[in-house]
Order: sequence, then structure tokens, then C-alpha cells
Amino acid sequence: MKRYLLRRAGASLITLIAASMVVFIGVRSLPGNMAVALSGENGSAAALAAITKEFGLDKPLVIQYVDWVGQLLRGHLGVSPQTGLTVSSELAQRVPVTLELTVLSILLGIVIGIPAGIGAAVRRGKALDYASNAVALFGLSVPSFWFGILLILLFSVKFHIFPSSGYVSLFSNPVENLKDMVMPVVVLGSGVAAILMRQMRAGMLETLRSDYVRTARAKGLSEKVVIGKHALRNSITAVVTVLGLQFGVLLSGVAVTEQVFLLPGLGRLTIDAVFQRDYPTLEAVALLVATSYIVINFLVDVVYSVLNPRIRLAGGSA
Amino acid sequence: MSAVSADVSIVGHPVHNQVHVEKRYRRLKVLLRRPTALAGGIGVVLIIAVAILAPLISPYNPTASNFSDLFSSPFSTGHLLGTDQLGRDTLSRLVYGARSTLEVGVLATIVGTIVAVPVGIISGYYRGFVDSIIMRITDVILAFPFLVIAVGLAAIFGPSLQNAILALGIAQIPSVIRISRGETLGLREQEFIQAAIASGASDFSVIFRYLLPNMMSPLVVQASIAIPGAILGSALLSFLGVGVQPPTPAWGSMLATAQTYIYQDYWLAVLPGIAILVTTLSFNFFGDGLRDALDPSLS
Repeated sequence: MKRYLLRRAGASLITLIAASMVVFIGVRSLPGNMAVALSGENGSAAALAAITKEFGLDKPLVIQYVDWVGQLLRGHLGVSPQTGLTVSSELAQRVPVTLELTVLSILLGIVIGIPAGIGAAVRRGKALDYASNAVALFGLSVPSFWFGILLILLFSVKFHIFPSSGYVSLFSNPVENLKDMVMPVVVLGSGVAAILMRQMRAGMLETLRSDYVRTARAKGLSEKVVIGKHALRNSITAVVTVLGLQFGVLLSGVAVTEQVFLLPGLGRLTIDAVFQRDYPTLEAVALLVATSYIVINFLVDVVYSVLNPRIRLAGGSA
Repeated sequence: MSAVSADVSIVGHPVHNQVHVEKRYRRLKVLLRRPTALAGGIGVVLIIAVAILAPLISPYNPTASNFSDLFSSPFSTGHLLGTDQLGRDTLSRLVYGARSTLEVGVLATIVGTIVAVPVGIISGYYRGFVDSIIMRITDVILAFPFLVIAVGLAAIFGPSLQNAILALGIAQIPSVIRISRGETLGLREQEFIQAAIASGASDFSVIFRYLLPNMMSPLVVQASIAIPGAILGSALLSFLGVGVQPPTPAWGSMLATAQTYIYQDYWLAVLPGIAILVTTLSFNFFGDGLRDALDPSLS
């Protein structure tokens, strides 16, 4: 167990370092010298030189990378040249918005997707199966931003039930905040539900075919116990893994949903940062996304190995 | 030994074998019997036809503006689906939009598959050190959502159709590598592959004559799922302004513009979305049927 976790942690760490190099190199190869962008088209040579020196842009790339990692480890994410604010203070404002949107969407997805998937697997080949599969395919096919625009058209432009855009913090006004969140969460959550439903159905079908389920049925256990207790436990772990792997896809969806509903989250920050050539912010966001993906999937694997001894035993020797 | 070589020839040349032809025919029948798969298949063919025949079908030049005829609603005189904020014919723009959309979706999948399949096979065939390096690289790619890759490429090379294809192609690489690696690991242990290796076949010939033809089903299924995903991705990128660039019509950027004019003319926001939805839904329905036909264990 210990050995498996160590190996897994080591692999995650290597991935993390490689990812940080990709981020660093990617951001440094952006065109449009940042010093020029900052000092403006007509900036004096002296101003340009000062900025180049201030941001360490004149040093070799390797040194810049080491400097950067050193800063990161001390918690300094740099200062956004556009706003003059520290990137960490900017992130502190943006992350809660994205986090709330993501968590609520995953919850909605679980509440709809898991029961639907179980239902479809149990009633395999029946009307319920076909119906939920068709709905799930529909959910996978709808462009999220278009779905968002349709909701705005219907519930904001026509019926004035929900605000079309804007954001109030959860802590300053919880009711308004949740009203702002309803439409974005429906948009994202329905996509999550579609993915989870299909995974749950496939996993459940596979489990229901296995020997131990046949044994459980042969023992005379009720269908409720066989499915609810035996089959569910074994198929849900795979769904959790898929959810972890889908995290990146979900974040892309989050970004575009924030754009549609004008929520001040990480996604909009990233897109603004690209067009403003805001290197420190871009670096921080890309790194944050990659880190959270790696950490989440590490945690999923840890939980999985605790729940399922077969994994850690096989993992130790592989 | 003769039994072994017979075995090898059956798998190596499936097309010449009566049993396999019948099996394929049966799969096709399974595929077309499902109404959703059939509808999806027809939809896919129609959309491809629209994209190819765009110059013949579209009533107007999709980029020609007409300032005396702005925001005309659908079914107005001369414009079946109305005009946009520059007086351009919406139907023509939708028809041409099919081109860039399909181009990105299909090419991204081809790019992803061509790069990833050989890497996955090498990873599964040689295992060991090469395998762990390749797996670490896929982990790194996975850590970046396609949007981050696309936004990065757009920032470095400027937003364009090519970068959208590249970003969406790169994003597909990890899953295709995993599938082809997994298939290779499984097939490698089977007797006909072992026999081919034992009989002195070169690695090259084992990979191309025996491994690759036997993993076509999962790869085709993967591609059929990946294409609609890439189409959605391409619409998303052009919506955010980092994909296909104006004046080339793209469904995503049409939607982005339409959101600005949502109070003046909501049709502009509804129609491109329907076009995207019909396309992805057709591919998904067809792909879903294809998966059931090729891999009955999942249905």
C-alpha cells in the first residue's frame, strides 16, 4: 500500500514538473515582447529597459524558469502588468466563482446522471434505457454556450426570471448568488449528467454480468440488494475515475459558460489574459489548472486503491 | 506449424475470408436496424453533402454584406433564414459554416489518430522504459484542457483554423494512445501474434500486418466519438474568438456575434446552434450505433 502510494505520488510529481515546464516555455514563446506591450507603442528606450530588467526578461530562459519556480514555491505568483494587482489576489477573487460553478455542476450531474445510468442498465433494452440514452446523447451534442444563450433568451429576455449576467458573491448575498448560478449550473450540470449516465450504465452492465452478481442472485438476495449494494459499489468507482479524467473537459466548459453568463471566474480571466499578453496571469492560471487536474486524479487513485485492494496490489508489481 | 500459419492467414487477411465478410455484413445490418443510428447516418451524409456542395446550394455569397437589408427575419423576401447585422444571408453562412466545422472536426481527429496510434502501439509492444516515458507524456497532455492548449497556440501563433485543428488534435492524443496501447498489450499475448513473432516476422510486419488490422474496431469507435467532440470544440473555440477567423463563416463565431444582438434578433442566436446540434447529434447517434455494432459487449 505504502509502496503503491509512493510510486503514484512520484509519478504525479514528475508530471507536475513537466507540466510546469510546458507552461513556462509556452508562455515565454508568446509573440509580442511583454516589455513593449507594457511600455506602450511610444515608450522610451529607458522605460523599456527598466521593464525588461524589472521582470527579468533579459536573463537566459533556464534562469528565468528557476527564478520563477523559486518565486512560486514562496507563494509569489507575480504582478499582473495590466492591473498592477498581484496575480494571487486576482486568483483569490476568481477561484471561488469557478469553484462554486464547478462543484454545483458536478453535484447536479451526479444527482441526475447516476440514477439515470443505473435505471438504464437495470431496464436494459427497455423504453427507459433508450429514452435516457437518447437524452444523454442529446446532452453530449448540445453546444453548452448555445444552450446558455437559449436559457438567457427564455428566462432573462422573455420572462425576466433570472438575471442574464452579473455576479454577486455567495457571502454577501447568498440568494442573489444562487439565482445568478442557476442557469450556468444547469448548462454545465446537464453535460456532466450525460457523461456520468453513460459511464454508470456501461459500468453497471459489466458488473451485472459478473460471477459474483450471479452468485448474489442465486443466494436469493432481492434485486434491490444485488443492485443497490453489490453491483453499485463496484461500478461507481469507475465512474469516479472518469469524473476525475473529465475534469479538464469540464474546465473548458466552465470557461465558455463564464463567458456566456459574464461570470468573473478563471475562464474569463484566462481569455482576457491572452488578448492582453498578461504573462504572469496566464502562467498562474495554466499552472493552477494543470496542478488541480494532477492532484485530483492522484486523490481519485488513492481513494480508489483504498476501496479496491486489487488495484494497489497489481499497481505494486506493474 | 501448419495450424499456426492457417491461423495467422485468417487474421492477417480478414477480407479474403468468407466468415469475416459475413460478419461485417451482419454488423452493418445491426447498425442500420437501429432507427437512431440510421437517422444519424443519413444526417452525417447530408451534412457532408452540404459542405461539399456549398457553392451550389447557398443562395448568396456568405460574406457579401447588404446594408439596406439588416436583421431581416426568417422567411422574409429573398432570404429563407433572414440576414445578420451586416445584411449577410444567414442560410448561405450556415451552409458555408458546415465546411469549416467539418474540416476542423475531421482533420483534428485524423491528426490525433495518426500521431497517437503508432505511439500507443510502440508503448504497448515494447513496454518497459519507453512505455513509462510515453505514459508520463500523456499524463502531461491530459493535465491541460483543450481550451488551454488552444488558447496557448492562438496566443503564440495567432488564432486560426489550423491552430484549432492542432489544439483539438493534440487533445485527442492521450485517449487514442491509451486505447491503442491497451489493445496492443492484449493482442500481444494472443497466440497468432506470438506465432508471428516466433516465426521470425519483423516488428514492423507484426505491427502493420497483425496488430493494426485487429484494433480497427475500437479505433473506429473512438474516432466516431471524437469527431462530434472536436466539432463542439471547434464551435467553442470560434465562439471565444480563437478558432476560425472572420470573414470565414463559422457556426461558433456566428453565435458569439448573435449574443450581442440578442435583443434585436434572436433568430441569429438560435439558427447556428441548431446547425451545430444537428451535426453533433447525427455523428453521436451514428457513432453510438457503430459502437454497439462493432463491440456488442457494451450494448
